[in-house]
Amino acid sequence: MDDYLVSVLSNIGIISFVALSAYVLLLAGEVSFGQQAFFALGAYAAGIATAMLRWPLALALCLGVLVGALAAAAVGRATLRLSGLYFAMATLAFAEMMRIGFELFTWQVDVGGSLVGPNGPDGFGDIRYLFENEITPAQYMLVVYGLLAVVLAALLVLDRSRWGRVLRQAGADPVLAELQGIRVVRVRLVAAAAAGALAGLGGGLYAHLLTYVEPRNFDIMLGVHSLAYGLIGGLGTAFGPVLGVLIDIGLLESSRLFQGYRMIAFGGLVAVLLIARPRGLLDERAVHWISSRAKGLFDALAARRLDHPFRRR
Amino acid sequence: MLELRQLCKHFGGVRAVDQVSLRVAKGEIFGLIGPNGSGKSTTVNLIAGLLLPTSGRIVLDGEDISSLATHQRVARGIARTFQNIRLFGQLTVWQNLWVAENRDRQQRAQPVMPRWFWGCEGDRERLGIALEFSGLAHKRDDLAANLSFGEQRRLELARALASQPKLLLLDEPAAGMNAQEIEELDARIRRIRDAGVTVLLIEHHMELVMAVTDRIGVLNFGQKIAEGSPAMVQNDAKVREAYLGTAAA
Repeated sequence: MDDYLVSVLSNIGIISFVALSAYVLLLAGEVSFGQQAFFALGAYAAGIATAMLRWPLALALCLGVLVGALAAAAVGRATLRLSGLYFAMATLAFAEMMRIGFELFTWQVDVGGSLVGPNGPDGFGDIRYLFENEITPAQYMLVVYGLLAVVLAALLVLDRSRWGRVLRQAGADPVLAELQGIRVVRVRLVAAAAAGALAGLGGGLYAHLLTYVEPRNFDIMLGVHSLAYGLIGGLGTAFGPVLGVLIDIGLLESSRLFQGYRMIAFGGLVAVLLIARPRGLLDERAVHWISSRAKGLFDALAARRLDHPFRRR
Repeated sequence: MLELRQLCKHFGGVRAVDQVSLRVAKGEIFGLIGPNGSGKSTTVNLIAGLLLPTSGRIVLDGEDISSLATHQRVARGIARTFQNIRLFGQLTVWQNLWVAENRDRQQRAQPVMPRWFWGCEGDRERLGIALEFSGLAHKRDDLAANLSFGEQRRLELARALASQPKLLLLDEPAAGMNAQEIEELDARIRRIRDAGVTVLLIEHHMELVMAVTDRIGVLNFGQKIAEGSPAMVQNDAKVREAYLGTAAA
């Protein structure tokens, strides 16, 4: 695999985490423009952990998850009683606050003769864990996709559980959900913390892929995109947001086909889909159709196998 | 079992519900009627906890529930349906019925896996009964949005029952139904009552109300103007006046 493909695929994998983060909140019925803040927190926390504190990568990623989740829970506690536009504004304000905070944040230590650490608007460089430990880009890509697979599997299992149903009920109609005995605010708080954890994990991976992050990486465009990925790909399944990332980064950004027109094509796609399929390509209907077909096929196959004359019952 | 004490709900200067006192006895079907805008739906919203009263008390089985949150009232056995059907359209029939919180301790003691993934024994049984009652067993895995109007009404009723309420609030369940469907609804409401659930029925369809209810309360401009058996209410001068207007002198 050539280096360009590896870097594009790694990027798709990592951005998928932010997209899934926004998706979890969308399921809970909240539109957040601020998931990039938790992505940034995860990136800085994990970067600080490996480059400055010399922690191993796994532990650093855990720290990113933890920081993302705790920050999201704290923000959620303050903002989740807002809804709709007000919640969106609050999350955006928080994200911008964090970005400007990182521009003011300087903390450098001497590591092997040179200063390493976040340096305000100049960013945070020398997150060289992958080089120091001789992890190749291809190996790192496998790490990214391994983690993504775990997260996707967890989300798919959750979707079939009581939790998934409660989450979707709270998102679809909070009043009705309350009448089903669900404590909507609490459900949303848990969703926000989980979303923060996902973004934090993505951020940690991102910092180590790029080796260099700066506050500018985490501006509102990232937030808007991660929100749009779920709406493009679909809210019916966790594969939806990943499909959205694949379409945007894989097709629009990385192929020469749309060079220079990416934002125009992306904006047009979002506009068309919001009219034609407001809950994305893989919306609940599509997913239900696919899964009932698959179930029918499976049942038919199972029935044929049972009817086989040589098979003992 | 349910008692409203001088219940008031004011929206600015509008007294949507004004000093309403009612008693609904356990196991009865109580009808709440009145012309449009008389405060019936507001009363139901107050009882279910979607609105908080301006003043007055709502007492359920001797406990003051006036300031409890909606989900707490659900836990105490109140369920409702809506005038305009409200379902989770993107979820299946079964998922719509599956009520969220495990109410009693006994269920909480059950193992985690069934509780979170396929529902514990009692739950499944309970939902099976609700599903049977709705007559939608063959559409268990269909999306609620794909059901017909009549089926959605039945599912909504079953959804309200799935939480095993003591008190069921029905907000115009016959709206948009034809004569035959109303007859079926009549039978369903009686079956619910026979199962030991107290029913508070809000309805414009007078034939249904007069046929099915044990007692009736009449509201007009937010105030209670009459209460009693269907026959008593029908002959009440104030009620006739509210519905038909005063005779020209």
